[in-house]
Amino acid sequence: MNKTKKTLKPFELLNYHMDLKIDILQFLFKFPRFLNGFLFFLRPIYLKKETAWNKRFRWLFLVLGAGKADTLELKAMSHALYAVTDNFFEVKAAKKNREKIVWVEWILNPEICEAFDLVSFNPEVLNVFANSKGMEYPPMIIEAAENQGTPIENCSAQKLAVGSLILEQIPKPSLILGGSHPCDTSISIYQTLEYLTGAPSYIMDFPYWKDEDSYRYYEKNTWELLSFLKKETGKDVDWDKLKTLLDRVNQINNYLREICEMSRAKPCPSSNSLLALAWAIREVNLRSPHMLSMVKAMHQLVRKRYEKGEGVVKKEKLRILLWFPPIPFFFYYFKWMEENFGAVIVADFIGYVSTVHIDTSSKETMIRDLAISQMHLAMGRQCHGPMEFITDEMLKLIDEYEPDCMIFSGHNGCKHGWAGLKIIQDICRGKDLPVLYLNLDIMDKRHTSEEEIKKQTITFFKSHGWA
Amino acid sequence: MDFLDTIKEKASSDGNADLNAFSQRGKKIIGYFCSYFPEEIIHAAGMIPYRMRATGKSDTTKGDIFFSSLNCTFVRRCFDKALNQHFDFLDGIIFLNGCDHTRRLYDNWRHADIKPDFRYMFVAPHKIGRLAEERFSEEMVNLKTAVENAFDLVITDDALRRSIHLYNKKRQLIAALYRERLKESVPIKGSELLSIMLTITMMPVEDAISLLETVIEKIDGRKTHKEGDLRVFMGGGCVEEIAHLELIESVGASIVADNLCLGYRHADMLCDESMDPFLSLARRYLNHFSCPRMMNDFRRRLDFLHTVKKEAAIDAFIFEKLKFCDLWGGEMYLCRQESRKHNYPILLLERELYGGSTGQIRTRIQAFFEQVRNQSYTPSELVVSAGNNYKAVMGGITREEKDHS
Repeated sequence: MNKTKKTLKPFELLNYHMDLKIDILQFLFKFPRFLNGFLFFLRPIYLKKETAWNKRFRWLFLVLGAGKADTLELKAMSHALYAVTDNFFEVKAAKKNREKIVWVEWILNPEICEAFDLVSFNPEVLNVFANSKGMEYPPMIIEAAENQGTPIENCSAQKLAVGSLILEQIPKPSLILGGSHPCDTSISIYQTLEYLTGAPSYIMDFPYWKDEDSYRYYEKNTWELLSFLKKETGKDVDWDKLKTLLDRVNQINNYLREICEMSRAKPCPSSNSLLALAWAIREVNLRSPHMLSMVKAMHQLVRKRYEKGEGVVKKEKLRILLWFPPIPFFFYYFKWMEENFGAVIVADFIGYVSTVHIDTSSKETMIRDLAISQMHLAMGRQCHGPMEFITDEMLKLIDEYEPDCMIFSGHNGCKHGWAGLKIIQDICRGKDLPVLYLNLDIMDKRHTSEEEIKKQTITFFKSHGWA
Repeated sequence: MDFLDTIKEKASSDGNADLNAFSQRGKKIIGYFCSYFPEEIIHAAGMIPYRMRATGKSDTTKGDIFFSSLNCTFVRRCFDKALNQHFDFLDGIIFLNGCDHTRRLYDNWRHADIKPDFRYMFVAPHKIGRLAEERFSEEMVNLKTAVENAFDLVITDDALRRSIHLYNKKRQLIAALYRERLKESVPIKGSELLSIMLTITMMPVEDAISLLETVIEKIDGRKTHKEGDLRVFMGGGCVEEIAHLELIESVGASIVADNLCLGYRHADMLCDESMDPFLSLARRYLNHFSCPRMMNDFRRRLDFLHTVKKEAAIDAFIFEKLKFCDLWGGEMYLCRQESRKHNYPILLLERELYGGSTGQIRTRIQAFFEQVRNQSYTPSELVVSAGNNYKAVMGGITREEKDHS
């Protein structure tokens, strides 16, 4: 752990996203063709694997599409980057000015903080973004948490939050907003975080079912949260601000839902990597107007392809359903399959959007629908209740998106998922759907590496005559 | 055979012989999981609540078809037993969202379509507070309705009040046993208490009450510990192996307090008999000494460490969890941090349910007890200033050795 501390200065990973190179990148986004050409020209030095030399840019270059992204895709990514860095700058300023920072658990979106004009921060943010500086950083942070006693079997997504706190990579909170979902690790880690930080905490108790009683209970939780924030901050709810944001959230959800609908077309006009990225950006800074600009650009791109009858790949050979979370350290998995096998992930566990419309006509409807919409966010909506919440959606997507196969990205931390594996297997057998069962840790490449994932995927494709 | 040996024998089996006899007398038996389940509602329906257990099962062969190696051995063993028809005596089974592993028992049970036909998911909130109490009392009413509909019967408020009264009596007797353990001379061992708890959670409460009364009478004046035994607190979730606690006791410990699923939670807090029975049940089951599944109650659990240390004169804390248990893993982290702050000796163990490895566990506990004994002979300020290397500060010998020399 001491060695780890030496290698990471406080806030080094967050600061990495706030320096000059981000400005340069944003400048380059204005010249997408040039940027694409640049990324394409450099492919030989970073495409295949991470090395000591290329580690500071490889992950980012791959996320940017490795020189093969559409202009609109790059535009969407530019907005995504703005949304993330805006949040980091806000947090930095809040820390400097000693303003309150509210940690918001990853499945809970920070809309309510907007109503109180509070700076929100997702403590799990380095799950995804620590990879920007090199794929060794997430494991390093996980190790820091484990060395101090965080259980090894906890989900690494949240071990990263503990590790980031220990290594002073994220700012300490004034308040914490935690939730009892999607899994036991959340329940456990948010107690740990409250203990370690001493920050007052409010727990959103996620109901087991999705029925009227459950919706009402969660709505009451949301009202209680308002009282908690009022009490802790001395501020009052700015309903107009909340309304403006929720109207924007409705627009965002509409665009995303339409993209999901268009992805049913054959060939599939959308790369699901963007939908997965949109989910991650939603987690970090849904409040930013750039989030809406991002999904608008995504929608424009997919609609353009859809209307022309074009797919995300020239010749779509294989349609895939990715079930369970994508792999942040190998985010290029989507595009790697597209490029090498004409295999397109047409729907996935977190990219698929099925939230409800928020009626912003009154305070009561806003809070009611905000609560319900939170219960329909990806990960939360599938993981909190009975197995049917996972399998019914899976079946729906199998029927609607007509995949040729499924990839089950079996994340070690999702014990409830592994406990339902037989049910998933039986359903897929019944549907005659071939499945690749990956056993991995989505945040920790040490468990199953990029190379191993590629190898298993190629073997799976070959065994079915697809490669 | 000693009275407590008879109880132990019963506790070590599924108890099917007794339960079959109840069945033959027309009594229905309902299985349940977790200490957050209100047995009173089942009793008020004229049925026997049976706490699910993995007793007597040593493998997970069939259970592993449904659960993965990343799931805990409690659910894998329980489900294995279910697939092997060991729970055929049940007329119904009620699951609880206790943790990620047990909540999937509900799903796999339905998927495998194992008897009994009445399978119900009872949901407990993950926090305490007014909202949660309201929600939980609604859940109690829903459970009552589901049982009424499934078995074509009526659970009256009066019957429920009578059941609450009986269960309160049972709790008071268990609490009395717990108080006995606080005394300097401990009249009942932790392993014996576990046997009792296993037994009384598979019999009608009326029988449980008379059994507890007999136990209290019989242990009067008894002394179970040896001179020099350490007074130990046991924390952990699913501990149902009597032999495991016997092993701990055999190396010089007297288990005098606990936070186990089959432990103190059954003794803590009575139901308020003067209020609405459903709200009263909700309040009691939500606010009793909590399990780590309750998110906003960890400070009370940590405070309890300090209280119990004083009240029960605890020399050492042992916390343990089953492999892959996120909830107890997190709790152990908190307890370790808190113990370090206060210099409490603590041992953290991870094991499989009925997983053997007794040699390894014995060695770890022996070494820990030895460390605790050495430390207790050394002035605490010296221990703190020298860290683990306090022996070196003392010139390589303990206070005891120094006194002898």
